[in-house]
This record gives sequence, C-alpha cells and structure tokens, in this order.
Amino acid sequence: MLGGVDVVATEAYVALSAVLFTIGAVGVLTRRSAIMIFLCVELMLNAANLALVAYAYRWAGSGLLTGMSGQTAVFIILAVAAAEVAIGLGILVAIFRKRASTDVDALSEVRL
Amino acid sequence: MVTFSILAAISVLGALGVVLLRQPIHAALSLVGTLLTIAVLFVTLQAHFLAAIQVIVYAGAIMVLFLFVIMLLNIGQQRKEIAPSLRWGAYAVGLIAAAGLIVGAFNDPSQVPDAALASEALRGGSAELIAETLFGEFMLAFQLVGVLLLTGMVGAVALVQRRSPTEGAPQDAGGR
Repeated sequence: MLGGVDVVATEAYVALSAVLFTIGAVGVLTRRSAIMIFLCVELMLNAANLALVAYAYRWAGSGLLTGMSGQTAVFIILAVAAAEVAIGLGILVAIFRKRASTDVDALSEVRL
Repeated sequence: MVTFSILAAISVLGALGVVLLRQPIHAALSLVGTLLTIAVLFVTLQAHFLAAIQVIVYAGAIMVLFLFVIMLLNIGQQRKEIAPSLRWGAYAVGLIAAAGLIVGAFNDPSQVPDAALASEALRGGSAELIAETLFGEFMLAFQLVGVLLLTGMVGAVALVQRRSPTEGAPQDAGGR
C-alpha cells in the first residue's frame, strides 16, 4: 500500500474491526436463540480487541506505556470475557433446565 | 497488505457464518475460524503473546465451553425466524453503522505506523513487556480481575448446582 509491502495503515485494521463489530451487532439483533446472541457478543468483543491492538501498534513509538497499554487492556478483556462466558453459560443452562428452550422472546417474566 | 487482505476476507467470512448459519454448532465453529484469523492478525501487529493467549483461551477454552453447552443442551436449528421486516431492518442498520464506522476510520489523515520503530518498541509484544504494564499502571485492574474471576467461579457453581428436594427453600442453596 503506502511505502512497502509490510506496512498496513492502521485505519485498515480499524475498518476491519468495525465490519466485524457490526456483523456481530446484526447477529445480536436477528438471532432468537440466547446462545447465538452470546456467540455474536463474543465476536463484538474480539472486534474491539483488534482495534485496541492496532492502535497499540500505531502508537508504539511514543513510549512503552503508550504502546503496551492497548495490549494490556486486551489481556484484561480476555480475562473478563472468560468470567463472562462462565457466568452466561451457567445462566443459560439454568434457564434451559426450567424452560427447555433458549428462545429469548419466550423469556418475558421479568418485564415490568 | 496481501496478508492483511487474505486474513480480513477469511475473518469477515467467518463472522458472516456466525450470523447466517442455521445450526449453532456450525456457527460456533465458524466463530473459531474468525478467532484464529484474529490471532494471526495479532501476530502481524507485533502482539505475539496476545496471539498465543487468543488461541489458548479464546479458541481453546471459551469456544470449547460453548460447544460443550450447545451439545449438552442439544440445541438444534432455530425453528421460528424473526419477522422478515425486522430482519431486513437489522441488516439495514448494520450496513449503515458499518459504513459510518468505516468512513470515520478513513476520515483522519492516513495513519501509517513506522514498522521498524514499532517492532523495536514492542519487541514482539512479549509477556515481559505486558507484565511491566500490567503490574505497574494496570495493577488495580489486575486485582479487580482477580476478584471478578473468583466471583464468577462462585456464581457459576451456585447457578448450575442441582438442589435435592429435601433441602428446603431454594434461597439458601447458593451459599454452600
């Protein structure tokens, strides 16, 4: 692209991240099964991680803290995602035991 | 750029598979493909440790948990679809949002990172450098993640355990 085979502009990574994020958001909007919505949320989390790592690479020249903050944030997001998946799937299994269905439209008992 | 284009195409295809495939198992395996391509993209961005963690934790542990639950609950194809008008509305919203975000990304002056400078500063994104930041500036976040993981573990066990009918009220079952 611009000066060399290796270098990809940061906005290309950010654009890819935006595309993956919106695909995940559309999945959240169109899917009915709770587990599929959950998978799409994971996709959105990963898209955000990609943008963070791309910016970490872009700003790596301005000091260690600036460069590594993005990557460290991704590390923490991974740990939070692992906890979130454990809890979310636990809730899903509990709901499935009670209702034998994961259709989110059927879960309307807690509405006001 | 060639590498990036190939990886971007594969990851977008995998993401579309997550949204469009009918069987939850197929969608989950399609997401594994996307996660692995994102790991390779991390390598191209000099984040080798994160790439390894992505493969081990995300594509390994988390997706195995997903596949395990899908198979355990025996969730098949979804029978009812949402109304076509809502579906096309969601696609339109997605297209508009993606277009807006891409325009926003390319709006600024082109940001071309200095590859030599970045690889010298990041040193391949080694665990050592991440540890320096994690145990320095991010110490509070690190400790909070520890608390969160413990809470998550207790919560998951409390949610999923079966209660025997002789044990009385369900409220007191979570604390053991």
